[in-house]
Amino acid sequence: MFSMRYALTCLFLLIGSTLSIGAEKKDEPAKLTFEQDVLPILKAKCHKCHSGAKAKAGLDLTTRRGVLRGGQSGAAVRRAAAESSLLWDRIAAGEMPPKGDSLTDKEKGLVRSWINDGALSESGEADSAGSEIAVYEIDDQARKFWSFQPPQKAALPEVNDVARVRTPIDTFVLKQLEENGLTLSPEASRATLIRRTHFDLLGLPPTPEDVQAFVSDKRVDSYDRLIDRLLAHPAYGERWGRHWLDVAGYTDSAGILFEDRALPLAYRYRDYVIRAFNKNKPYDRFLQEQIAGDELVDYWHHFDNDDSLSNEIVEAITATGYLRCAADPSRPDFSKIKNADSQYFYPTINDTMQIVSTSTMGVTLQCARCHDHMFDPIPQEDFYRIQSIFMGAYRPTNWIPQMERRLTSLSKSQEVVAKQRNKEIDAKIKELNGQISKLRQDFKARRFEVELAKLPEELRDGVREAIVTAADKRDETQRQYAVKYEALLQPDDKKLDELLPSEFPEYVESLGKLNEQIITERARWYAYDEIRAIYDLPGEVPTPFLRRGDALTPAHHVSPGALTVLNATVEFQWPRPAAEAKTSGRRLAFARWLTDPGHPLAARVMVNRIWLHHFGRGIVATPDDFGNAGSPPSHPKLLDWLAVEFVESGWSIKHVHRLIMTSSTYRQRADLKSETPISERKQTDPHSIDPDNRLLWRQRLRRLEAEALRDAVLHVAGSLNTQFFGPPVPTHRWATGEITVAKEADPYRRSVYIQNRRLYPLTMLRTFDQPTMETNCTLRSQSTVSTQALTLLNSGAMIKAADSFAGRVLAERDDNVAARAVWLAFGRPPGQDEVSFLQEFVEAQQQRYSKTLEEGSSLVERRRLAVADMCHMLLSANEFIYID
Amino acid sequence: MNNAISRRDILSRAGGGFGGMVLASMLGNLVDTKTSSAAGAGYNVIPKRPDHAPRANAVIQLFMHGGPSHVDLLDPKPLLNKYDGKTPPGGVNDDEARTTYLLGSPFKFKKHGESGVEFSELLPNIANHADEIAVIRSMFTEHRNHEQAIWMANTGLIRSGRPNIGAWAAYGLGTENQNLPAYIALPDPNGLPVDGIRNWSNGWLPPVYQGTAFRSEGLAVPNLTPESPRSVEVELARNNLLAKLNDRHKVQHPGELELDARIASFELAARMQLTATNSLDLAQETAATHRLYGLDNDKTRPYGRRCLMARRLIERGVRFVQVFMRGQPWDTHTENVKGTRDCCAQTDLPVAGLLTDLRQRGLLDSTLVQWGGEFGRTPGAEQRSNKQKGHEGRDHHPYGFSIWLAGGGIQGGQTRGATDEFGYRSVIDRTQTADLHATILHLLGLDHETLTYAHSGRDERLTDVYEAKVLESLLV
Repeated sequence: MFSMRYALTCLFLLIGSTLSIGAEKKDEPAKLTFEQDVLPILKAKCHKCHSGAKAKAGLDLTTRRGVLRGGQSGAAVRRAAAESSLLWDRIAAGEMPPKGDSLTDKEKGLVRSWINDGALSESGEADSAGSEIAVYEIDDQARKFWSFQPPQKAALPEVNDVARVRTPIDTFVLKQLEENGLTLSPEASRATLIRRTHFDLLGLPPTPEDVQAFVSDKRVDSYDRLIDRLLAHPAYGERWGRHWLDVAGYTDSAGILFEDRALPLAYRYRDYVIRAFNKNKPYDRFLQEQIAGDELVDYWHHFDNDDSLSNEIVEAITATGYLRCAADPSRPDFSKIKNADSQYFYPTINDTMQIVSTSTMGVTLQCARCHDHMFDPIPQEDFYRIQSIFMGAYRPTNWIPQMERRLTSLSKSQEVVAKQRNKEIDAKIKELNGQISKLRQDFKARRFEVELAKLPEELRDGVREAIVTAADKRDETQRQYAVKYEALLQPDDKKLDELLPSEFPEYVESLGKLNEQIITERARWYAYDEIRAIYDLPGEVPTPFLRRGDALTPAHHVSPGALTVLNATVEFQWPRPAAEAKTSGRRLAFARWLTDPGHPLAARVMVNRIWLHHFGRGIVATPDDFGNAGSPPSHPKLLDWLAVEFVESGWSIKHVHRLIMTSSTYRQRADLKSETPISERKQTDPHSIDPDNRLLWRQRLRRLEAEALRDAVLHVAGSLNTQFFGPPVPTHRWATGEITVAKEADPYRRSVYIQNRRLYPLTMLRTFDQPTMETNCTLRSQSTVSTQALTLLNSGAMIKAADSFAGRVLAERDDNVAARAVWLAFGRPPGQDEVSFLQEFVEAQQQRYSKTLEEGSSLVERRRLAVADMCHMLLSANEFIYID
Repeated sequence: MNNAISRRDILSRAGGGFGGMVLASMLGNLVDTKTSSAAGAGYNVIPKRPDHAPRANAVIQLFMHGGPSHVDLLDPKPLLNKYDGKTPPGGVNDDEARTTYLLGSPFKFKKHGESGVEFSELLPNIANHADEIAVIRSMFTEHRNHEQAIWMANTGLIRSGRPNIGAWAAYGLGTENQNLPAYIALPDPNGLPVDGIRNWSNGWLPPVYQGTAFRSEGLAVPNLTPESPRSVEVELARNNLLAKLNDRHKVQHPGELELDARIASFELAARMQLTATNSLDLAQETAATHRLYGLDNDKTRPYGRRCLMARRLIERGVRFVQVFMRGQPWDTHTENVKGTRDCCAQTDLPVAGLLTDLRQRGLLDSTLVQWGGEFGRTPGAEQRSNKQKGHEGRDHHPYGFSIWLAGGGIQGGQTRGATDEFGYRSVIDRTQTADLHATILHLLGLDHETLTYAHSGRDERLTDVYEAKVLESLLV
């Protein structure tokens, strides 16, 4: 043991002496270069093995390019990161060279410093290791995968049960059911249908009056009218906008670091999305605006030449907020962080690419960042070609901090005026603030004299001397004086601001005048909207291929492109812009490629998403992965038919809703027909044939999502504030850890408007599986946990809602609170048994309260509490939380 | 050892009764969580069979936010003291050029126990457990910023959004007490640690595996009880009404397991009110136990309470408990001596108390205790504000640092690996985070290569693409 330790110590000494904690840099020394400083060392110590065509481990250390490229174990050097570079690792550990003379301490130091200086070359050779990437051939087999083929409308299949066919959807579904000896379930009741459709399209329950009107509407097209009415309702945009915001990864905070800075401007994009859904903006246009709105409407041309920007242009640049949803914590001081590009900036681009590819194409492009895709024919090169699309705007080497990356709603000429005027105002306000601090200094000095004069005369000079002396220069007596008198004579600024107004009325007067002037100046401010948008920067856009996805091991540069596997179907075309162009046109080229009517993925992915929210599960169960590792479609022909129909309808989302919702498939019952135990079920029982209901022999019972649940509670309680749009409703984190709407804010707005901070989501929503936005959410998880029960039963918000609900019921139907409450909560007439046990409960509960409440509580109070308890249980019941 | 979990076990663990029946029926329909990719369906925390016989049933992670100074606590460096105030031999610049001269440790190290493992004088109480502790002196990490290094330490990669190791444990093993969450975080009630709630995030694992933050004062979790309490009979009547409404609904939806599960979740919530409140009721502990954790002293009480709560939760079958401090107190950029001393004064006694208590109760063998931060601190002095001798700071240091493990299958009384003579770089038996993670999972009976979750087209695992190895030399 002892000798072992001794041996180790010797080894340590050797390594330790190359240690890198060094002298403070005074003058910036010349940076080391490969040719001058490193090559001679490598030549002497390494080239014996690592050179030439048969270099050991494929590592050729004779050129800088060879060093950067590395060998079998990967890149030998990560630029500016010696501690994680293999070359340094092996040298530092004494593993290399294995034989012969080791590097001297000085030599080791030089290698390490050279790497940390950026692994530079004398000649200024580009930061690239050259291309050694094997050419990737996409074979025909891979290309033939179903989702890479353009969708085709198949002829509608013949079915037996023609009576059930309402829309083409039914023929496809029935066909597969009948092939399996099944058919559709009977149509759901009218009350069930109106509740289902209301939640699906608006995220809100129908009122009892809505239900009664629909149930008694005997017109043949009453159901179609219902769908039309709901699709025209403005709450539709809030509901479906929220679905899109999930896949876009929208939040109101910058994320990543603990600071999780709030983003005050992000909401404009949220409002854009809601408006777009309400307007039924064609989906191709919707995507084009979000990816390249600025290029689509030629923003820079209008900015330069128009007097003011039209709404259309402001809308288009607002849409690009989609590409700003990825977490981006960058601040101006980040440029000082070493390797900030690889640490902070590349992740934002990568997340943006993941958002775009999973939300619009259903491909897991992110898997091709470090290597060719494992399952799908996506070469790594494709990843960087697509990265190049976004490099016009997001440049890791020239990063704009997130809060500075914004456009305004003004044209150039307006901006000139606004900036000039605001600059003058700023200067004036600065001057006034200067006057204010001078005023304070003057009075501070006056006050010092006044207070000093109150001390015994013999002390005054000594104390004055002590106070004016710097803290670390004081002698012992002065320190004593300072301790005793400093707070009194020289209070800090905060204290001073309290004392001066009470002691010097003339101070208050002068200060008031100055403050008034500041207010006057502020009122002259040229106000305008700032928009969190994306836009290209001028100049060349180099996009390096990153070996193993590592920004510190760049290889050759790539040109913009899209998915190579789709080339035969939709080719990416990018006309190189003129040198003086203000934007590269890359994003527009990509958006046009993506929304080409023949694109195999875009339409399929979107109709699948719409289907998902009407049936609780997509035709493809993995909405973000239409590739080989995803689920195959349960109804492939239906998916394709819908996708083509979608494009042919002018990419009308509302058309797809109508097709789906008017189908018999959608209108089936959700409740199970069979009560037969599994063991006794017959062969023809759908439960045996298709227990997971993949074939859709019934609708699915679905739990309300977090937002729909909270909104429905407020709606039934009669307290929902339906105000549209605007800055997010602020939230507050309590000492208990609970996060609620902030005290001063309106707790009754719809959930889509509540501030969604990545680290501080509203407890009520998070508890019911509102996603944590790390990148985006393409499919929500659904949990059933006891914290949900606790939130429903005990949270302040629910108790308040139950009380409002009770107030409403008592006001509307004091004579039959039970029946009215059931109508409001469940949207159906109450059963006899139900009314009686609810009434019994209210009466008994009133009695219980009379025992527990203090003397003197009124009957009215007790009744209100009892009714509130009943209402509370209705809002917590499964019938409320689930839709049939 | 037989790890099969019978239906009867579950019934008894779930407290029997109706909830237990439902759980058992859910168990009968369990999808295999390790292969299913359908989001949301069928995930729960019912006990699951481990891959192999576990050495530990539970983990208590004592996370030391900010990065404790290894050369002042666990990794003595005589040569560093010799070169105190001097530039190191060699003359190569630090790659960040943030430190000026080498800074020796003013703290004395001593060998402890039969094994002679060395601890700093700042850890006199923990040092008494030298023979139970295995110190890893050769950790290194991949980032020098707090957040990224914290993500590395707890989620396996330096990027955000992945599940914490506690969530993986809950996913892989479930929990033995259905009345409490499987994974519980104990933050300081006065403030969250740096990176906040993400320290116990489930990432992309289903939300049921998310850590639940328990407060060590007041209500354990938000909404455990209403703000104005209800009388027992009022509460009971409400619950009965809800049961009636749900029964009526269920009759129309026979066979919908999801509805049964939700009904059960309400019953579990009611039991959780009792169990959670009970688990926090430290008054049930003896005065001697209070003293053991330092609850009789203002300095040690806050951290001691959380350590004691951790033991009570583990005792009740919770799988993974994390104990946090507020902010990042070990981040001693200035006044390293003072800051480190203060952190030790708060934690040394309670941590030692926890080890003693676990041992006395026979729980130490089955409970893994992990102590450590996201990185270490530089052997050099940081050149910020106060350059007066004795007031210097130390900067973040990812290249070499120490952590320790105890209990739960760990062979105590040993050190693993070494940094160089200045404590700068891990050089012997370099230990990557993935090795530590693989080891912790291994001790819990899980295999880091097969504990996977399908996410975005990939079978994700805690150790990602690392070639991780279980640190066999640390095991009993």
